Amino acid sequence: MRALKIAATGMTAQQLRVETISNNLANMSTTGYNTRRAEFSDLHYQQMARPGTVNASDGTVLPTGVQLGLGVRPAAVSIHLAQGSLSATNGDLDLAIDGNGYLEVTLPSGQSAYTRDGALKRSADGLIVTSDGFSLVPEITIPADVRSISINAAGEVFAYFAETTEAQQIGEITLAGFSNPKGLEAAGNNLFLETEASGPSLVSTPGQDGLGTLRQGYLEDSSVDPVREVTELIEAQRGYELNAKVISAADQMLGATAQVR
Amino acid sequence: MENTGYTTLTRQSGLLREMQVIANNIANAATTGYREESLIFAEYVKQVENGPSISMATPSARSISSLQGGLQPTGGTLDFAIEGDGFFLIEAADGNRLTRAGSFSLSAAGELATHDGHRVLDAGGAPVFLPPNATDLRVAADGTISAEGRLIGQIGLVRPLDPNDLIREGGTLFRTDVGTEPVEGSRILQGFLEGSNVDPIAQVARMVEVQRAYEMGQSFLENENTRIRETLKTMIR
Repeated sequence: MRALKIAATGMTAQQLRVETISNNLANMSTTGYNTRRAEFSDLHYQQMARPGTVNASDGTVLPTGVQLGLGVRPAAVSIHLAQGSLSATNGDLDLAIDGNGYLEVTLPSGQSAYTRDGALKRSADGLIVTSDGFSLVPEITIPADVRSISINAAGEVFAYFAETTEAQQIGEITLAGFSNPKGLEAAGNNLFLETEASGPSLVSTPGQDGLGTLRQGYLEDSSVDPVREVTELIEAQRGYELNAKVISAADQMLGATAQVR
Repeated sequence: MENTGYTTLTRQSGLLREMQVIANNIANAATTGYREESLIFAEYVKQVENGPSISMATPSARSISSLQGGLQPTGGTLDFAIEGDGFFLIEAADGNRLTRAGSFSLSAAGELATHDGHRVLDAGGAPVFLPPNATDLRVAADGTISAEGRLIGQIGLVRPLDPNDLIREGGTLFRTDVGTEPVEGSRILQGFLEGSNVDPIAQVARMVEVQRAYEMGQSFLENENTRIRETLKTMIR
């Protein structure tokens, strides 16, 4: 009775969909979060009568054959890359990326990671770091006597000192782009890691080579649309129930078989 | 005498297969680009010695529904739906495949590919290469791709020369052995995906029908069993 197992694959698939939705909803307010969507594809087919088989009795060719499917499998949980809306925070180290690209940071292991969460901070020794304390690449140190900081759209960081009125450039923030950003590996904490599928990072000045520009004093909101997620949730729940119905129907058929004798 | 049992048995095993098809349709009710499948039963007539011929039921063919699935807006740059007839052409290790699931991504080499890593082919049968970091990627209704206003290729739509010659493979792919021809008049929509065209209500109705028919067959077999037992009892006595 394969119907039981097929319906079970359907239930597993809908469950994965619910898990993806709940993760999206949980990250409704996460800075720079992008919606994930579970996608499915059908499993293999069992060939009962291959199309094109010659019918032995009269030599005619079966035009369509009989193929029985074996269920569904998750094909991908893909990131739906969309620009989240920008909300003003007025923090001088809050950066939103308007367009493509990621900020590059160094993990304690020395590995590079990429993020769109531009809520940057100043560390005890003056380095510009993320909320988790990872320093930006290239490193930028803010001198202790700086009065205020200004970052322009192209990533140039200017510092105003107490004794002078003229701004002084103390560094430049670059962005990293990927030929397939959907192929990045999500590592949690709003960080992504480079993979073979994403291709190598292409580092450039913001606003050039197809990269986005920087907005100081803004943060990028999560791109999750709660209304969409909830409709999707209803669909997933009903889909789960339908598959459960198939299991109970198949079970009753088996029960009917067992009664005969 | 035992022919009655065998005839019912062909019906019963056919119903089990049909149940499997329904289960597969419902399991794939959320699969992008999935097309509903149904079984077609035919009569199988057998001449028996000294008696009338008996007929049995056998699943002889299947049909794939070509109804348009619902279009779901996703807003993804590399999500495409086909409105109308036709399939996207996909390159697999051993020949080309067809699919309606237009949820594509970029491979590391910058080519348009499915989630399983198969390359998507253009109207001329060559892979579609997209420039890295293209910001303004647009695909028109006829499949022409442009990046920042510059024409860079065209996604091809094809259909098999014989519409019945579609062999299902996993991964929402179809294989055809008779060759394909380009499709005119269908539209490609960017930022949409075609949902599964399974009608869950019809499937559940069919499921109930199959289940009841199966139970009817079983009670028939049960009656047959009693009848034969009674006959034997009478004969022994």
